[in-house]
Amino acid sequence: MSNFNLYSRGDRIFGWINAALIALVVVSTLYPFIYIFSASISSGAAVTAGRVTLLPVDVTLAAYERVLSDKMFWTAYANTFFYTIAGTITSLLIMIPGAYALSRRRLRGRMIFNLAIAFTLWFNAGMIPFFLNFRDLGLLDSRTGIVVGFAVTAFNVILLRNFFEAVPKSFEEAAKMDGANELQLLWKVFIPLSRPAIVTVALFCVVMRWNGYFWAMVLLRGEDKIPLQVYLKKIIVDLSASDEFAGSLLTSQFSFETVSAAIMVASIIPVLLIYPYAQRYFTKGILLGGVKE
Amino acid sequence: MSEVELSEVVKRYGVMEVVHGISLTIEPGEFVVLVGPSGCGKSTTLRMVAGLEDISSGTVMIGGREVSQVAPKDRDVAMVFQNYALYPHLDVAENIAFGLRVRHEKRKVIKQAVAEAAEILGLTEYLKRKPADLSGGQRQRVAMGRAIVRRPRVFLFDEPLSNLDAKLRTHMRAEIKRLHQRMQSTSIYVTHDQVEAMTLADRIVIMNGGRIEQVGSPMEVFLEPANTFVASFIGSPPMNLLDATIEIGDAGPLARIKGADTAPLPIPDAFRDQAAAGQRVKLGIRPELMRVDADPSTPGLACQIELVEPLGAEALLHGEVGRQPIIAKVETLSGVRDFAAVRWLGVDLSGLHVFDAGSGRSLKTASA
Ligand SMILES: Nc1ncnc2c1ncn2[C@@H]1O[C@H](COP(=O)(O)OP(=O)(O)OP(=O)(O)O)[C@@H](O)[C@H]1O
Ligand SMILES: [Mg+2]
Repeated sequence: MSNFNLYSRGDRIFGWINAALIALVVVSTLYPFIYIFSASISSGAAVTAGRVTLLPVDVTLAAYERVLSDKMFWTAYANTFFYTIAGTITSLLIMIPGAYALSRRRLRGRMIFNLAIAFTLWFNAGMIPFFLNFRDLGLLDSRTGIVVGFAVTAFNVILLRNFFEAVPKSFEEAAKMDGANELQLLWKVFIPLSRPAIVTVALFCVVMRWNGYFWAMVLLRGEDKIPLQVYLKKIIVDLSASDEFAGSLLTSQFSFETVSAAIMVASIIPVLLIYPYAQRYFTKGILLGGVKE
Repeated sequence: MSEVELSEVVKRYGVMEVVHGISLTIEPGEFVVLVGPSGCGKSTTLRMVAGLEDISSGTVMIGGREVSQVAPKDRDVAMVFQNYALYPHLDVAENIAFGLRVRHEKRKVIKQAVAEAAEILGLTEYLKRKPADLSGGQRQRVAMGRAIVRRPRVFLFDEPLSNLDAKLRTHMRAEIKRLHQRMQSTSIYVTHDQVEAMTLADRIVIMNGGRIEQVGSPMEVFLEPANTFVASFIGSPPMNLLDATIEIGDAGPLARIKGADTAPLPIPDAFRDQAAAGQRVKLGIRPELMRVDADPSTPGLACQIELVEPLGAEALLHGEVGRQPIIAKVETLSGVRDFAAVRWLGVDLSGLHVFDAGSGRSLKTASA
């Protein structure tokens, strides 16, 4: 059988337009990565003069040497790892049981809890009250504040709750007949059955933590506690005006631009490493969470 | 001591009462089938025994213990669900072992029990497979394995075969029966399929609209239906129920079929005592008890045949007797004839049933 006529002329044209649009999207998302990578291994003078557009110019590892020899970089990197791992674990530890509870029909005041959580999707108290709240809780300049204070997001709780709600009732009933208690029910039935949703939420948490910047900048004082993104900002803002770069703008092997590019490359590497693994669950997770059977 | 005892069990959802005071006693080792049309409360009743639904009023006893307030896991019952409810993330062995594992049984005990259950159910070679990689019949067996490893006092089945195709259903039906004969376990089985009910049951409980219509052995409910509901529910095609009026003749009560141009039929002895002159009744005639080769001088019905459905060894004749629809099931092997031309259906008088038209109750007097 031939499938010559499966696609009409219109279909083929539509296909080409699709391909062109996708190519455009790919190029426009890929370009910043390539540019940052090229900039990080080009000479500072070349970047500052705007001579790097796509490929590296005057290749040098000076920026990396500068970054990797900075103790603060390593501290910030370690901090980011800490916030990401501790933050994600904390998030899951709080959100999974919470979402599970919210998914149970017999939870008293379930409607009110659900409304309260959904409310925060659209409204929040605003920055200043938020800051004051942290201050009054004694969570300023505190790792605990960062880890616990941002552990729960309404979107993720709702995603998990919907997933738990969609688990067919007979699984729960079968487990209950089999003798599972409430904890076993969650641990041995609901969590394994909801793995795609949980991996998805975990990935959201990881990305949020890894890129965490604003509140870390606002809430943290000590340089020993700041994550990578805040360190990056320090390099860009603080060092661009400092003596280290000032005298040597035209001659130096690195500039604050190549240094920040190098930091960005360094910060992307771990994400690139875990993403292919997580992606398998990612698309599935989003779909399954949205569809209720 | 009875194994399961329901007394005046009622289920209400809000103000809607769906089970209206069911009482039923089940003996140890008995296989009881709850059968009835969709929505009659079979599952609800079963789930109240399981503990998955609260009981609105009445009591449920299992093994002599009142369990109305006991959690499902502590009732010593196991349930096989219609959709199997196998855990997709666990393999067959783990699925079967689940109930023992959450109860913290010893590893060795679990292994032994799983191997034994797998052996009984012919699942030994599939123990490492995930449910997704099994056929419907195999999944069904795993679901049963999960129940039998626990050696519960009572097995509960809610339409366990209705997701299988017809052939497999027949096969699994026989397997369930064999399993029950081997294990002698008390079982309550819900189905809306009367063939399943007839073949599996020691006793059939026929339910309708949240009430029990009749309880009895398969042959009892077939041969002595207590009312028109049971008469028309058990048997395929169902019993013909013709509107008739009682007349008292010289030799006793006769049933005159409404609108029919036929001599009234004498009713069997067992129904005579309760038949009163002028009483409106339903005359019940099994389709199998009508003959096409009878002479119009013998007792029978003048009829018009409108449709003939050949089934092979038998044929179904759809027709009318005095404007009332009637179905006859006749054999074809001893010579096919022009069934459409049949004008007289001979009736085996001893197989007639008489029900009161108002209450639907059988007029049969309890006798030997
Ligand atoms: N949660 C509920 N809320 C309200 N009514 C319910 C609920 N569950 C069941 N019912 C009603 O109770 C009645 C009995 O339901 P049940 O599931 O026991 O029927 P069934 O005999 O098992 O039918 P089927 O053969 O279709 O499974 C039905 O009329 C149904 O609509
Ligand atoms: Mg049901």
